[in-house]
Amino acid sequence: MTSGARMNTTIKSGAGVSRYLRLYRVLSQALAEGRFGAGEPLPSEPRLMRDYGVSRSTVRRALAGLEAEGRIDRERGRGTFVRAQQQRAVASRDWSAILDGTTDTAVAASSRTTAFERVPTPAFLPRGERGFGSTTLLIRRIRSVAREPVALETAYLPEEIAAGLTRRQVSADGVPILTLLTGLGHRSAGVEREFAALEADPLAARNLELAVGVPVFNVRTVAHDARHRILAYIDCLYRSDRYEARAAIEIADPKPRRATAKRN
Amino acid sequence: MASTPRSRRLRPSSTRNTELTSRRVDEGVTRYYRLYELLSAALQDGTIAPESALPSEPELSTRHGMSRTTVRRALDRLERERRIVRRRGSGTYARQRRTVPRFCVELHALPGILAALESRSTTTTLRFDPAPVPQNLRPMAAAIGPTAYVLERLRFTDSQPLSLTTAYLPETVASRLRRPIPRRASVMTILGRLGCPTTAIRCIVGAVPADAAAARALDVPLGSPLLRVRAVLTGDAGEPWVVLESLCRSDRLQLKVLERG
Repeated sequence: MTSGARMNTTIKSGAGVSRYLRLYRVLSQALAEGRFGAGEPLPSEPRLMRDYGVSRSTVRRALAGLEAEGRIDRERGRGTFVRAQQQRAVASRDWSAILDGTTDTAVAASSRTTAFERVPTPAFLPRGERGFGSTTLLIRRIRSVAREPVALETAYLPEEIAAGLTRRQVSADGVPILTLLTGLGHRSAGVEREFAALEADPLAARNLELAVGVPVFNVRTVAHDARHRILAYIDCLYRSDRYEARAAIEIADPKPRRATAKRN
Repeated sequence: MASTPRSRRLRPSSTRNTELTSRRVDEGVTRYYRLYELLSAALQDGTIAPESALPSEPELSTRHGMSRTTVRRALDRLERERRIVRRRGSGTYARQRRTVPRFCVELHALPGILAALESRSTTTTLRFDPAPVPQNLRPMAAAIGPTAYVLERLRFTDSQPLSLTTAYLPETVASRLRRPIPRRASVMTILGRLGCPTTAIRCIVGAVPADAAAARALDVPLGSPLLRVRAVLTGDAGEPWVVLESLCRSDRLQLKVLERG
């Protein structure tokens, strides 16, 4: 929609997903986050055809989907406009604060546990005294806000840390794993988060109520205690329309200097 | 070899689908598809590590109580998706799935960490002119106002695109910036040189589907996942130097942050 990059290359078609659906998703995301104000026009049909290299019928199919959802109004001879109530939806769509327990609100997070058991430690987890032993507690939960799924979370906990943690505690409500561990006396001293954008795999797609291949936001978290013991490794897939991560960074020394490489 | 944990046993699901085209999965999911789904998740999260062997066909068949034909169908699909390799007489192995990104930007190590990125990549400036600040960035830096100077740059390494950054600079800052825009320096480094040192950054990170402009610039299929960073860089007195949006290829650029409790 922005006309920024004018490159000579054409857009790759991408395997498996229809053109109309790809256009629908792009427009859907733009509407969800209020890139167009209420009552503002969307790009015209010819403009969308040109920008996305698709036919008029493809553009119309994508717009028809949004219209059926009551998110836009198409007015003959005038154009396509954002519905006013779209604005309200914007405010409620980012549920990160509720999910992370950083805000008090009437809307509560909930979770459903689909796995809670000891498994042989997967190869990608670090082993050793400060890491994982031969077996690991695997917890998989679907975390929701207002009954709508937001995250598919897979947590791996060293046996030592997991001792005393019950399936009931994990399932009781939408409390984050690290908060539960703090309750058990395992306070995190350092939390490393790694961000990525991935396509929803079939399991994530089903649990998050998305189509396979839709972008999902991946956060991999490793928490250590003050003695540098690993408390948890959490791999979380979030619906990108319902969750974003926030970070505040203080820069003590604004002059450039080389950072030391860190072990993973 | 990591065995498939019990949790991955087939369970009936009671999920409803809301997206336009997704198939209904309640009762309609075939047995083959469920096995495919389980193996797919195990490959994705590394429970079945890259290069390691999957359970054998008879093993899968016994464990999940399904026929060899059903097991084969699930494996066939994973093979078509190039996620496993079958070696005759040896077994089935997981392929390396995630490519390791070339760059890792550690947000807590800014600005030092930028030096590595700046020395190994360059940018092309796509535009630098006055423009309205988009609706979704305005609340992040209200002090910048509705119009600003937009600096849009594409960063790449060895002619492979890494990120597309659109920075909105207030006129007071933009007026100090002279053409040509430095090719390697990041926005934060440029600001430092202009006498606008960054002392704090607030950022929001998420995933978005690539729109037409991003797909073209970053050479990815339309709608494919991109990592999006929206950030405000501020100075000592809390004055915003810039509000920016960066779309990154997640397969080439990794983003990390370390928080101390």
